[in-house]
Amino acid sequence: MTFLSLPRRAMLAATAATALVLTITGLQAQTPPDVLIVGQIAEPQALDPAAVTAVNDFRILMNVYDGLVRYKDGTLEVEPALATDWSIADDGTEYTFTLREGVTFHDGSAFDAAAVKFNFDRMLDEAHPFHDTGPFPLAFFFSAIDTVDVLDPQTVRFTLNSPYAPFLSNLAYPTGLIVSPAAVTQHGADFGRNPSGTGPFKFVEWRSNEAVVVDANPKYWDGAPDLQAVVFRPITDANTRTAEMLAGGIDLMVEVPPVALGEFQGDAYAVHEQAGPHVWFLILNAKEGPFADKRVRQAANYAINKEAIVNDVLEGTAAVAAGPTPPAFAWAYNDALEPYPYDPDRARALIAEAGVEGAELTFYVTEGGSGMLDPVAMGTAMQADLEAVGFDVKIETYEWNTFLGNVNPGLEGKADMAEMAWMTNDPDTLPFLALRTEAWPDKGGFNSGYYSNPKVDELLEAARVATDQAERARLYQEMQVIVQEDAPWVFVANWKQNAVTSDRVGGFSLQPSFFLLLDDVTKN
Amino acid sequence: MTGYILKRLISAIPVLLGISVIVFLIMAMIPGDPATAILGSYATPENVEKLNRDLGLDQGIVSRYFIWLGNMLQGDFGRSFALNRPVLDEVTDRFGATLILAGTSFVLCSVFGIAAGVISAARQYGFADKAITFVVLLGISIPSFFLGMMMILIFAVKLRWFPVSGMWPIYGARNFWVLLDHLAMPALALAVVATGVVARLARSAMLEVLRQDFVRTARAKGVPERRVIWRHALRAAMVAIIPVLGIQAGFVLSGAVYIEMVFQWPGVGRMLVDAILKRDILLVQGGVVFIAACYVLFNILVDVAQALLDPRIKT
Repeated sequence: MTFLSLPRRAMLAATAATALVLTITGLQAQTPPDVLIVGQIAEPQALDPAAVTAVNDFRILMNVYDGLVRYKDGTLEVEPALATDWSIADDGTEYTFTLREGVTFHDGSAFDAAAVKFNFDRMLDEAHPFHDTGPFPLAFFFSAIDTVDVLDPQTVRFTLNSPYAPFLSNLAYPTGLIVSPAAVTQHGADFGRNPSGTGPFKFVEWRSNEAVVVDANPKYWDGAPDLQAVVFRPITDANTRTAEMLAGGIDLMVEVPPVALGEFQGDAYAVHEQAGPHVWFLILNAKEGPFADKRVRQAANYAINKEAIVNDVLEGTAAVAAGPTPPAFAWAYNDALEPYPYDPDRARALIAEAGVEGAELTFYVTEGGSGMLDPVAMGTAMQADLEAVGFDVKIETYEWNTFLGNVNPGLEGKADMAEMAWMTNDPDTLPFLALRTEAWPDKGGFNSGYYSNPKVDELLEAARVATDQAERARLYQEMQVIVQEDAPWVFVANWKQNAVTSDRVGGFSLQPSFFLLLDDVTKN
Repeated sequence: MTGYILKRLISAIPVLLGISVIVFLIMAMIPGDPATAILGSYATPENVEKLNRDLGLDQGIVSRYFIWLGNMLQGDFGRSFALNRPVLDEVTDRFGATLILAGTSFVLCSVFGIAAGVISAARQYGFADKAITFVVLLGISIPSFFLGMMMILIFAVKLRWFPVSGMWPIYGARNFWVLLDHLAMPALALAVVATGVVARLARSAMLEVLRQDFVRTARAKGVPERRVIWRHALRAAMVAIIPVLGIQAGFVLSGAVYIEMVFQWPGVGRMLVDAILKRDILLVQGGVVFIAACYVLFNILVDVAQALLDPRIKT
């Protein structure tokens, strides 16, 4: 049987080769001290804050750039950043900012009023020489801006075409981060791969699909960071990201899948949680079918066991939502609001009252998408709850972009209800775009369920032009009470963003804005 | 031979044109456009319309196809919306990584598959044959992404012998040995199914050949059995095995998509999945055309190799 000797030799050679690889590399090395390795959920699109839309990209950008203002640690209220002070004209259409002195961009050029003007003109003025470095999909955040004027090198004035209260918090959003005009001029359309800002970390290199590396900026105006460097690694597969965290390949992992949280109990890891400006809801078709009746919409809110969904389906990674505004907007949230309790009997009674027992419902469900959490499992749980009170629910499942293509133009003639989730930076955004009569799909908004209440419209219009925060808060709180009662949506959950750090990482906390801020983080 | 190769190359042109039309039509027809994908929640009709204009998607479908084809023939594959860089840079970057992974898997599945098939055939119904058939069946039945995840769990998380994912270490030198370290698990996981297929076909091809007269003659003349099997019979069986290898090359290339997702290998398969989800039209189109061209070229090479082994094929 000599013919077996060749493969046997081959086997031996293969075994030897494997053993060799193992001896050469030994056990996998630990990550170096003072260098934080972050497991991101995807490759960034670009590092140009005006050009990107994804939270994944914002996590890097917030560490490389500053805006004129920023959110105060742990809140969604604005505080000074590159602007030290500002004043708002009485009619709410002029904002004048005093800029911080002595700040330079990472490329050495100076930060001044001309740089601020360059940034907003680039985004908004189609005739600007660098407008072609876009497109700038979120430029409409600043569509209220009429002109930006340089009053002197440290003073800049924004003139708005009408009063627009969310303006300041939009400036704190990543779209408002200030880029270096010199770097844009130098790199043109490739600026997104050669970024330069004023932030705590400066860009070093971007190795496609491997890592984005940033180094500490020792001259940072708000104090140099403790870390020497941060490496952002795109690891799209959640299981692989979890495995990297367990194997010590990354020090910080964002968006931990609920089922994997159990792996990180114990002293070797710290699990962080923070509720954010997110709301997960069902849009109900208030124009036709059973949900045209307010009682039936309320019945759906009573019928769905939200506690069970957040605890069992989402493993505690979300809290039950009470109304349209997430509690993370602490200043605008109405604390008196209680979520609809789980009460199937009450639901059955309301359905009987409306005379729609056994109605057939078409329910649009998505396979996944931005902020949608676990939409298929959640949709199935809700289907069971609604069938328990006598509805006949038919689920139609779509891939995310197809789903948006179906839902955004409105549910009329197609479906009775659809899943949806929003993450916003100002309490104005979601209700203004999705609950007003003027925001019906045919008018270019996202009110896909055709909810309409003149009182709500009036409150939202008033809150948008009020410049006094206390006054805005009062208007939003009143709006929440009415909307909860009218139940245009089933209010389901507010997502708690999570992250895991290894025991070598200190000083880390998640922000309600869902941004990742690393300037105070340490690692041994 | 030159004429044959030339003929094959010319016949590839309509194939590639057809592929370009198909992938273009698919991307034009699937629901959801790039502007909606980019804008997400903020995709109001007016925002979508403006962004489509900025992206050059407001023109007719026919003129868009010819602009794309014309640019591509001049070597310009366009710019990826989602990655903000030239499509060709991205595709060639990523294709290199896929070639390393798929190439290694291809060599592994060819060598181990043929060896296992030959041993099985030589010891038909013997212990080795039964053992190999069992292992091969197991290999074919395990989905490669599942195998990949299990390998990560055991060899990377528990034993810490290999890194979990990626192609290069984040820090430190880049050399052949660290590449091998990162390559070992994905290449093996990808090779397993293809090895099984090759082994089964190699076994039946060998059994066929071993029954032929020239094998009996060789044995009768006293040629050592080892020489009969590995020289005379295997060479004759290769004519049937090589086309299977050609198909397996396509299989490891497409199977690389799952493995690249699991092991975060920066290859072209993962790139295409991301690009499709983001409706990154030009990247999908350019990537598919590029891969198809490589695949067509590889099949021409296989045919030429076959023609060299068996002159009867060249007609």
